[in-house]
Amino acid sequence: MPIEKSDLLQGTLDMLILKIVALGPVHGYGISLRIRQISKEVLQVQQGSLYPALHRLEKRGWLEAEWGASEKGRQAKFYKLSAKGRKQLESEESNWNRLAAAVANIMQTAQ
Amino acid sequence: MSWWKSLLPKRASDAQMNSELRFHIEELTEANIAAGMPPEEARRRAVLEFGGHEQLKEELRDVYRVRILDATVANLKSALRFIRKSPTFSATVILTLALAIGANSAVFSAIDAILLKPLSFPQSDQLMRLQQRHPKLSNPNAFVAPVRLEEWNRLNSTFQALTGYYTEDVSETSGALPEKFSESFVAPRFLQVWGVAPALGRDFTFEESRFGGPQAVIISDRFWRRRFAADPNAVGKKLRVGNFSPAIVGIMPASFLFPERDVDLWSPVPLDAPYAQKRESTWFTVIGRLKPGVPIDQARANLATVQDQLAQQFPKTDGDLSVAIEQLKETTIASSRRSLWLLFGSVSLLLLIACTNIVALLLARATQRQHEISVRFSMGAPRGALIAQLLTETFLLALFGALVGLLLANAASGIFRSLAARLPRVEEIHLDARIVLYSLACSVVVTLLCGLFPAIRGTRRNLSGSLNQTSRTQVSGRNPLQWLLVGIQVALAVTLLSGAGLLLRSFQELGRVSPGFDPSHILTFQISLSWGETADLKKLRQKTDRILEALRATPGVEAAAISVGVPGVPFKYQTELKLLEGRAESEPKLLADSHLVSASYFATMKIPMQEGALCRETDGPLAVVVNRSFANAYFTNSPAIGHHLDGSNLGYSGPAEIVGISGDAREAGLDQPPSPTVYWCAPIAEPGTYFLVRTRNAPMTMAETIRQQIYEIDPQRSVYDFAPLEQHFSDALAEGRLRTILLTFFAATALSLACIGLYGTLSYSVNVRQREVGLRLALGALRGQIIRQFLWQGLAVCIVGCVAGWALATASGRLLAGLLYGVSPTDIPTLASVVLLVLAVAAIASLIPATRAARVEPMQVLRNE
Repeated sequence: MPIEKSDLLQGTLDMLILKIVALGPVHGYGISLRIRQISKEVLQVQQGSLYPALHRLEKRGWLEAEWGASEKGRQAKFYKLSAKGRKQLESEESNWNRLAAAVANIMQTAQ
Repeated sequence: MSWWKSLLPKRASDAQMNSELRFHIEELTEANIAAGMPPEEARRRAVLEFGGHEQLKEELRDVYRVRILDATVANLKSALRFIRKSPTFSATVILTLALAIGANSAVFSAIDAILLKPLSFPQSDQLMRLQQRHPKLSNPNAFVAPVRLEEWNRLNSTFQALTGYYTEDVSETSGALPEKFSESFVAPRFLQVWGVAPALGRDFTFEESRFGGPQAVIISDRFWRRRFAADPNAVGKKLRVGNFSPAIVGIMPASFLFPERDVDLWSPVPLDAPYAQKRESTWFTVIGRLKPGVPIDQARANLATVQDQLAQQFPKTDGDLSVAIEQLKETTIASSRRSLWLLFGSVSLLLLIACTNIVALLLARATQRQHEISVRFSMGAPRGALIAQLLTETFLLALFGALVGLLLANAASGIFRSLAARLPRVEEIHLDARIVLYSLACSVVVTLLCGLFPAIRGTRRNLSGSLNQTSRTQVSGRNPLQWLLVGIQVALAVTLLSGAGLLLRSFQELGRVSPGFDPSHILTFQISLSWGETADLKKLRQKTDRILEALRATPGVEAAAISVGVPGVPFKYQTELKLLEGRAESEPKLLADSHLVSASYFATMKIPMQEGALCRETDGPLAVVVNRSFANAYFTNSPAIGHHLDGSNLGYSGPAEIVGISGDAREAGLDQPPSPTVYWCAPIAEPGTYFLVRTRNAPMTMAETIRQQIYEIDPQRSVYDFAPLEQHFSDALAEGRLRTILLTFFAATALSLACIGLYGTLSYSVNVRQREVGLRLALGALRGQIIRQFLWQGLAVCIVGCVAGWALATASGRLLAGLLYGVSPTDIPTLASVVLLVLAVAAIASLIPATRAARVEPMQVLRNE
């Protein structure tokens, strides 16, 4: 069953976006595509959430945007990670890992 | 640090948004086509999947919209909630700030009214005080002869007009009883120079300012309301002043604040009168109004040229004279400037201490709120927004503090006015929009000073990085920053206390001074006299003698004398005197204070005669008494007695023989060492002369008897200004006392703030380290050890603070130097006792949390774990 945005923990989407963008400059469509592919269709990001998140992250200085040509030669807005964004991603990743491990721990121990 | 960048708006244009979103739809469409859909269907599905295009754009715009208003309202709401939720904390902060801002605003209101605001005359920056200066006289009241005033006015090119006035006390007898008033006799162009018109009636006419012309008077609003109950028909009525019956021609508005605030009557003095033609006479305080745009230096140069001209014309009288020009405002307020800035400096220190205190409170608070802040961070709040929220909370607290402070300042300005009635312009101190603005500015500065640092520190990422509560198990409660703040507070408090201590010591020293005369049981008063009477000195002397004789004959009176100026109250009249016998060029100039007294003065004041005889009050050759300082300073080789002084500088003709040497008395003020003084025995009561009566009982009980006695001799005169001599001393020291009282009050407040800071920080430290203490007690530590440890933690910081404060006090001591008497600004006993006091109070403040720490129940703490 696909997980819609509302079920995603607030802030998790930001982390996912940062992680995807960390792989290299990418446009909004590409991000939504990759999230779907990598999560094996479990996570589907609505455009209504994706674009505000992208713009928010850009405004906060974690993403930098640049206009360029897509693979098919269309004008697209490419996002890439800023130095600040990289730091943010690192800290969110470590938090996430600890949280996930803790939750997993509880789930296993309490069984 | 680039958090501030997030506060700056960045914008994506509408077209850019459109093209970004369009790209997404096109890509979706293509993907659909690739999946085998027909183009039309592919596009329809893509648009459907994408959702509301316009709605999304609106959401994107929202991202960029800087919603200052919304954010501010939200911040204010949450700040209010925060204040309500923690009433004790908020009340502490608000009260601390109220005290500090209130004191600051109160002193600022005085500074603003007295020093900063222009005088309350139109274009008052054009008003100048002009004085004639003689190189051999150091008399600060350099009055100007009427003829010279007229010449200056005629010959200069930089002033619109010059005028002058002198004031004397008169007896007004048109009422039921003779009543004493101050009347100013004014030169022509008087109202023109002030730039103020009468509220009712008119200015003096040309005829009224001529010799033998009709007599006219302009009255003050105060007099008009009291005597005539503000009746407009008062104009035209006649007063009875001495031997004159001037008609009231005008009433000044209440806003006319004449520099001599007691004056109620203004009358023209005829400058064409025969007695006004002497170039040597000293009559007028001269005020001039500059032409618009003329700088003061140009006026000085101009008047110097004018006076040079006069010097050539009248070498005998004008040869040595020069003209001094000063802003009128400057001459009015110069004496209080130092005191006021000193007070302002100390209340600013107080505000600084209060801020430091609040920083410490906020830091402690921020630690408690770490959890809340972490949560907000993980919800995606940008750091800027969090800082803004924390600052809003501080600002709101500061604002409340400022409002309460304003109320305090308003109450305090009343105290100011009653404590410092002698300060110039004190009646102009009001709470007005400028003070409100100042308080608001204070609260903004306080917000930034107090709030910014804790807000930035409290929102550091590494503090909020984790939601887990590691702090719960942390042992260390050492927060060097808070202790640094305590140290700063202690240092500042020590600085303020030292200042207050030095001023207090000065007062104490003053009390110990032996003035050289016996001020107890002396009643002083004045009798209305006019300058006109001094025209016939012989007659005046007889009148004076008769009054003195009558006083001596009064039962209960032991002795009576007159003196120009009150002994022990600052009154400098230093002149250079010449010896008829001549002096070698190498010898110092004979500079001496001159005192005009009756021969009975020495007996009345109990000033001992050390050598020679009393001066004689005869019409024969003049005889003077000099004091011991004079004899010692100028007559090292030969006896002073027998020399002759030339008194023509003072208006005496003929040589005056030195017949006696008296003991030194502190005539010029208790805080002034005795200076060389010459007593001219002139039993002539001029306006301003004080009658001194030694009474057997409490001085004031004699007042009515004496009033009656003088009424019997001369019913025309009013007797006024009754006061014991000691009262004059106390008045003369009023400004110093105000300074001392206020500074002591500020210093005490500073000390209590510093102690609250110390107490708070130590209590916090005790709370945080409860677990550690419990553990140590469980392991066998003695309670005494725990107490000692916490006590030492508090005291060590205080000792460092005291050392810093000592250094600070020594460095700033120079500011006080001119205001002290009998103690040096770095007086070790004073500073040491201040430090001891601070340490004692600090020990008490530390002892409470320290004993609380030792009362921790180990089992309780360990169970909570």
